[in-house]
Amino acid sequence: MATITATAPRSGLPGFLKHPATGKLLLLAVAAAVLVPLANARWASGSWPHALTVDLTEPLGKASDWVIDNRDSHPLFLYFFGYVSNAVVLSVRAVYLVLLAAGWAGVTAAAALVAWRVAGVRLALGTGAAFLACGLLGMWIPTMQTLALMVVAVLASVVIGVLLGLAAGLSDRTYRALRPVLDTMQVFPAYAYLLPVVLVFGMGVPAAVLATVVYAAPPMARLTALGLRGADAGVMEAVESLGTTARQRLLTARIPLARKELLLGLNQTIMMALSMAVIASVIGAAGLGDRVYQALASVDVGAALAAGIPIVLLAVVLDRVTGAAGTVDDELGGDTGSRWTGWAYAAVVAVAVAVAGRLTDRLDWPEAWLVNIAEPVNRAVDWMTDHLYSGVPYVGGTADWAGHFTTWVLDPMRDGLQWLPWWSALLIVAALAWLIGTWRTALTAVLAMAAIGVLGVWGPSLDTLSQVLAAVAVTLVLGFATGIAAARSERCERVLRPFLDVFQTMPQFVYLIPVVALFGVGRAPAVAAAVVYALPAVVRITTQGLRQVDPAAMESSRSMGATGWQQLRQVQLPLARPALLLALNQGVVLVLAVVIIGGLVGGGALGYDVVFGLAQGDLATGLVAGAAIVCLGLMLDRVTQPTDRRTKKGA
Amino acid sequence: MRTRMKGVLAVGCSLLVLTTAGCGAADMTKQASPFANAQGAKTVTLSVQSWVGAQANVAVAQYLLEHELGYRVDTVQVDEVPAWDALSQGRVDAILEDWGHPEQEQRYVKDKKTIVNGGGLGVTGHIGWFVPTYFAKQHPDVTNWKNLNKYADQLRTPESGGKGQLLDGSPSYVTNDKALVKNLDLDLQVVFAGSEAAQITQMRQFAKEKKPFLTYWYSPQWLFKKVPMTEVKLPAYKEGCDADPEKVACAYPHTPLQKYLNTDFAKSDGKAADFLKKFKWTTEDQNEVSLMIADQKLTPEEAARKWAEGHESTWKAWLRK
Amino acid sequence: MSTSTDVQDAAVEPTGAGHTSAGGSGAEPVFAVDGLWKVFGPKADRVPADPELAALSPAELRSRTGCTAAVRDVSFDVRKGEVFVVMGLSGSGKSTLVRCLTRLIEPTAGSIVIDGEDVRAMDKARLRELRRHRAAMVFQHFGLLPHRTVLDNVAYGLEVQGVGRRERRERAQEVVTKVGLEGMEHRRPGQLSGGQQQRVGLARALAVDPEVLLFDEPFSALDPLIRRDMQEEVVRLHHEEGRTMVFITHDLNEALRLGDRIALMRDGRVVQLGTPEEIVGSPADDYVREFVRDVPREQVMTVRRAMRAASAQEAGEGPALAPQATVSEAIEAVARTGQTARVVDRGRCLGVVDSDALLGVVAGTGGQFADEAAGSDTDAATGSESGAGSAESAPDQGDGTASSAREGVA
Repeated sequence: MATITATAPRSGLPGFLKHPATGKLLLLAVAAAVLVPLANARWASGSWPHALTVDLTEPLGKASDWVIDNRDSHPLFLYFFGYVSNAVVLSVRAVYLVLLAAGWAGVTAAAALVAWRVAGVRLALGTGAAFLACGLLGMWIPTMQTLALMVVAVLASVVIGVLLGLAAGLSDRTYRALRPVLDTMQVFPAYAYLLPVVLVFGMGVPAAVLATVVYAAPPMARLTALGLRGADAGVMEAVESLGTTARQRLLTARIPLARKELLLGLNQTIMMALSMAVIASVIGAAGLGDRVYQALASVDVGAALAAGIPIVLLAVVLDRVTGAAGTVDDELGGDTGSRWTGWAYAAVVAVAVAVAGRLTDRLDWPEAWLVNIAEPVNRAVDWMTDHLYSGVPYVGGTADWAGHFTTWVLDPMRDGLQWLPWWSALLIVAALAWLIGTWRTALTAVLAMAAIGVLGVWGPSLDTLSQVLAAVAVTLVLGFATGIAAARSERCERVLRPFLDVFQTMPQFVYLIPVVALFGVGRAPAVAAAVVYALPAVVRITTQGLRQVDPAAMESSRSMGATGWQQLRQVQLPLARPALLLALNQGVVLVLAVVIIGGLVGGGALGYDVVFGLAQGDLATGLVAGAAIVCLGLMLDRVTQPTDRRTKKGA
Repeated sequence: MRTRMKGVLAVGCSLLVLTTAGCGAADMTKQASPFANAQGAKTVTLSVQSWVGAQANVAVAQYLLEHELGYRVDTVQVDEVPAWDALSQGRVDAILEDWGHPEQEQRYVKDKKTIVNGGGLGVTGHIGWFVPTYFAKQHPDVTNWKNLNKYADQLRTPESGGKGQLLDGSPSYVTNDKALVKNLDLDLQVVFAGSEAAQITQMRQFAKEKKPFLTYWYSPQWLFKKVPMTEVKLPAYKEGCDADPEKVACAYPHTPLQKYLNTDFAKSDGKAADFLKKFKWTTEDQNEVSLMIADQKLTPEEAARKWAEGHESTWKAWLRK
Repeated sequence: MSTSTDVQDAAVEPTGAGHTSAGGSGAEPVFAVDGLWKVFGPKADRVPADPELAALSPAELRSRTGCTAAVRDVSFDVRKGEVFVVMGLSGSGKSTLVRCLTRLIEPTAGSIVIDGEDVRAMDKARLRELRRHRAAMVFQHFGLLPHRTVLDNVAYGLEVQGVGRRERRERAQEVVTKVGLEGMEHRRPGQLSGGQQQRVGLARALAVDPEVLLFDEPFSALDPLIRRDMQEEVVRLHHEEGRTMVFITHDLNEALRLGDRIALMRDGRVVQLGTPEEIVGSPADDYVREFVRDVPREQVMTVRRAMRAASAQEAGEGPALAPQATVSEAIEAVARTGQTARVVDRGRCLGVVDSDALLGVVAGTGGQFADEAAGSDTDAATGSESGAGSAESAPDQGDGTASSAREGVA
C-alpha cells in the first residue's frame, strides 16, 4: 500500500514534483540575470572583490592588545572576569586535590562503584579496568587533570544548560528566541570556540574550561527544553486537575517526566566536554590532551597513543555509564530504600579503599607498574612507514595514495572552486540550499557565504571547502555502501556495531595520530581524519534509515517479485530519503569539524589560520578565520538541511 | 509561573553579582595553574615549546629539579607568543629557550615588569633555508638563492602545485618566508606542514628516497645528524633589514637564545629560580639530549638521566649557591 | 439493571421551577451550570456576547470569525449523589465541557456554581482548593506519573495537599485495596495493563475523597471486556459511597448503563437531557433518534412507558411488576405466564402491559404510544418551559422527566 502512496507522485505526476523546483530555479535565474551583470561590471574579478571586504585585522588586533594591557587594571576584568577565572581555577584545583587525595585506588574504586550502582556489574568491571589501564600507561596524573577539568566544566555546563533549558521549556518566547541559537551552535566546529575565550582569559585552564562550557552547555539546554516541553500533556493535565501549584507541577511532574531527555543531555554534554577538554590543550588545558599534543609535535605516535588510549577509555566509560543511567533504572523499578542502601555501601567501600591507599602510602601510581607501549607502537609505525608508506608493488603506498588524492582530487577541486567567479559561487549555494530547503535556509546560506567574502578570507575558505567536499564525497560513498550492507545483513551490522559505538565516542583529536603515521602531512591526511571521524555517524544513520522503511512497503514490493536490488533502489532508498539527507547533513558538519583541526597536520587554509592565530598570539587572524569557519559551517548546514515543511506537508 | 521564574532569575543574578563584586577586586593575571603545588610538594611549571631542542632543555631542568631539588615539575606545551602571556600571568614559571620576540620583551619585561630575563641558554640559534647535502653535492649552485628558480621544477610536490615547494614548519615559528619568496621573486610556494613533527616526517621521507627538497630549518637541531643539510645563502642579514615584515629580503639573524622567568617566581622561589637562571649549556649538549628523545625515542626523563649521568660537572655548577 | 433504582430515586424527587435551585427535598445541585460557552480562537469573548454570532452554525462561525465554539450555551444541574453522563461523538465538546467545570479550560462565558460558590470568580488559591478537595478527575489516558510506584501515584493528590508521608501512604493503601490493586503497590504504571492503570487513576481520584468525581471517557481506551469490568467497578463504587459523578463518554451503552441522567451533546450544544429511558424512548430530534436506533430498547425502557390502562379484569390477575422493571423483564414474565402483566406500585395497579405493547417497544413502533403517554417530554427537551404539562398528563410519574427536561437547553 505504502509503495503506491509513496511512488505515485513520483511516477504519475512528474510535473508536480518538478514544478516547484524549476520555478525556484527560474526565479533565481531571473534574479541572477539582473544582478550578475551589475555586480560583474562593478567588481569584475574571479575571487571575492577587494572592494567588498572589511579588514577586521586591525580593530581585532587592537582589541587584543587592549585586553592584554588592561587585564590587570580594568574593572571589567578585576570585578568580573577575574572572579570567573579565579572561581574556575579554585574549583578545578579543589577537584584535582580531592582526586589526588583519594589516590589511584580510591578513584578507581569510586568510579567502578558508581558504574555498578548506575549501570550494573559488567560496566563496573569495565570502568575499573579502564582506570587501571590509564595508570598502567603512565597517564594517571594527566588523566586526573583532565578529569578535574571535566568535572568542573560538566557541572557548570549542566547548571547553565538546565537553567537555559528551564527558561526555554517554560516560556514559549524564550524558546523561540533560544532554539535557533542552540541549533546553530551545535553545527559549529569546536575549534572556533577557542579563540574568543583566549582573547579574554589568555591561555590556560580558565580559558579551556570556559570554552568547554560554551561548547558543552547547548545540548543540555536543548534537551532540557525539549524534555520539559515534551511532557505528556495528559499527565500534566491530570496533575493540574489535582490542584498542584506551578512549582509542584514542575518538580513532581515536568522534570521527572523529562528524565530521559535530561540524562541524554547529560550524556551528550559529557561527551562534548571531553572532546573539547582534549582539543583545548591547544590553549593550555593540560592533561591528556596536552600529552597528545606534545607527542604529535614530535611525531611520537607511540606516546600520542599512550595518551590517546586513556581518552578513548574515558570516553567509552563515561558514555556507557551515563547512557545506561537513562535506561536501567526504569527496569529495576525496585523500591527506593534498597537503592539508597546500595549507594551507601558503595560510598563506604570507596572511602575504605581510599583510606587504605592512604595508610599504605600508595597514592601515586607505582612506578613499577608502568607499561611502555610507546616503543613497540613506534616500532610498528616505523615498520608501517617503511613497508606501507610508499612503493608497495601494484597498489602503491599510503603516501602515494595521499599524493594521488591531492593531485587528482583536492587540487582540481580547490582550483575549480577558486576559479569560479564569486557571484556564481553565491548562486550555486543559493540554488542548492533552496532546492533542498526553503528560501529562508537559502538566504542564511548565501549571507553566510557572503560574510566569508566580506571577512576577506574567500580564498582559504574555498580551500577548506574543497577539502570538506572531497571528504564528504568519500564519506558518503563509503558510508552509504557500508550502511546498505549493514541494513541488509544482520551479521554485518553485529560486527560493525561495537566499532561504530567506540568510534562515535572518540574525541576528534585522537584521529590525527594514525593519519599522520599513514599519510604523512598535508591536506590528504586531514581529509582522511575527517572521513574516519564522520563515517560512523553516516553509517549509523543510513542503516537506521533503511531499516525503518515501512515493512509493509517492503513486503508489498517483495510480493510483486522485486529482486533485492530492485527493492533497494525502488523502495528502500526513496523511502529512506529523509534519513539519507540527515546523514549528509551530519556528515558535512562532522567533516568540517575535523578538516579544521587538520590545520595541525598540514591541512592548511582556515584551520591553519586558527592554529597560526593561537600560536602567534595573533588573535585577529585567528578570530577572522574562526568567524569564517562559523560562516562556512552555517552555510554547509543550511545547504544540506532538508525542511520540516516538506515532511509536514506530506504527512 | 513566569513571574516566579523571573524571581528565581533575579535572585540568581543578584547572588552572582554579590559573589563577584562583593569582595573586592580579583586579579586574574596572578594565577598559578590549578594543578600546581598539589600535595605539599612545591611545583615549578615550565613551558615546553613544540620543538625537540626545547624539550631537551625542559627534560634536563625537570630531571634536576625533581631529583636534586625535590620539586614537582609540571610542563605545559604553549606556543612561543602565548607563552609570554602565560608567563606574565604566572601560569608558567619559566621559558627556557626564546628565539627573540622584541615586541613581547618590550611589553612584558620593560613596561609591565611581570617577566624578567633569566640569562642566556648558552645556545645560539639560527634560522635559514636548507637543502639536503646529497642534493647540494650534485648541484653545488643550489646553495645560492639566485639559482633556486632553476631547480623549482625538481622541488615540485602535489601540495605546491606548479611551483617549487618551500617546506615550512609549525605556524608558531618566526618566519618571513612568504615575504622572502615574493620579494626575491622566486618560483616557490610556501607549504606549511602545520607542525614541526609533520615537517620532520616529511623531510625524512624525502631523505629516504633521496629526493630533492627545500625547507625552512634552524639550528641547533638534532635532525642534522640524521639528514645532513646545507644552508642556502640568502641576501646577507643586516641590522634592521627585517624591520618591516612585508618588505623583508634578507637572511635570518643569529640569535643567542634567552631564558625568561616570571617576576614573582624569580623573586619568591629562591632555589628553583636560582637554578633556572644558572642553567646554561652548549649546542652539543642540547643536541645529545634531543637526539635521544627524538631519534632513539627515549622518554624525556630517561634521556635527561642519561645525560645527567655523563655530565655531572656541568650541572653541579647550576646547583651551586 | 442496577441503574433502575437510581433512576427512580432521581425521578421521584420533585424539583422546583428555577434553573439553578433544586427543589426542597435535599437534592442540592452540586454543580449548577448556566449558559456556559467555550470558544477557541481570536477574540473569543465577542462570540457569546453577540446574539448574531452566537446563532451561527459552526462552519459559518469559523469562516466569519476564525473561532470554534466547543461548548455553546450549555446549562444543567448535577444533583448530589447522581451519575450525570455527558454523551456525544468526538468533537461534540463534551471533554471541553468537563474541563470547564474545574477551569482546567477557562470558560468564555456563563456561570458555574459548585455548592453555591461561583467557580469562575475563584482566585488561584481557591481554585486549587476546589481541585484538591472537591472535584477529582479520571482521564481517558490515565495521566499517571510513570516514575512513581502505584502507591505513590495514588498518594500524589494527598502529597500535593501537603499530607504527611505516613498518613498519605496509609490512606492510599486503603484506596488501592478498594479498587482491587492489592499486591501491585510497588509496581510502576508501565508494568500494568490498561485496566489496571485506570484503576490507579480511579484510586488517585478517590484518595483525596472528593465531593464529585469527574470522568473523562475513562474507559474508551480499554478492551471491551475490561471496560465492562471497570463500568461495574464504577457502579459498585457509586452504590457503596453514593458519590456524585460526572461521566463523559462517547459510548451510548456505557451512558445508558451508568447514567441516572444523560445530556446528549452535538456541536457544543446539549440536544437532549433526560433519563436513559427518555432518551431512548422519546428522542428529541432525528439526530438523537438515529443515535439510539440500535439500542436494545427492551433493556432500557421500563414498563411504565409501555403500559396502558388496565381493564377491570386485567387489574386483578397476571404477574406483578414494579413500574421501574424493564421491558425485557416484562417480556420474560409475560412469556412465562402467557398473561398480561400488571404494573404495581405500592399495591396499586397502575396499568398493564401485554405482549403487543411490549413488542411495540422492542420494534420501536411502541414509541408512539409511549411518547403520548410521556406527554411533553420531547417538547421540553427541545427547549420549551413546559414542565408543568408533563406533570399534569402523568401525575405519578412525570416529575423527574419534567424537571430534567426543564434543565435541558433553554
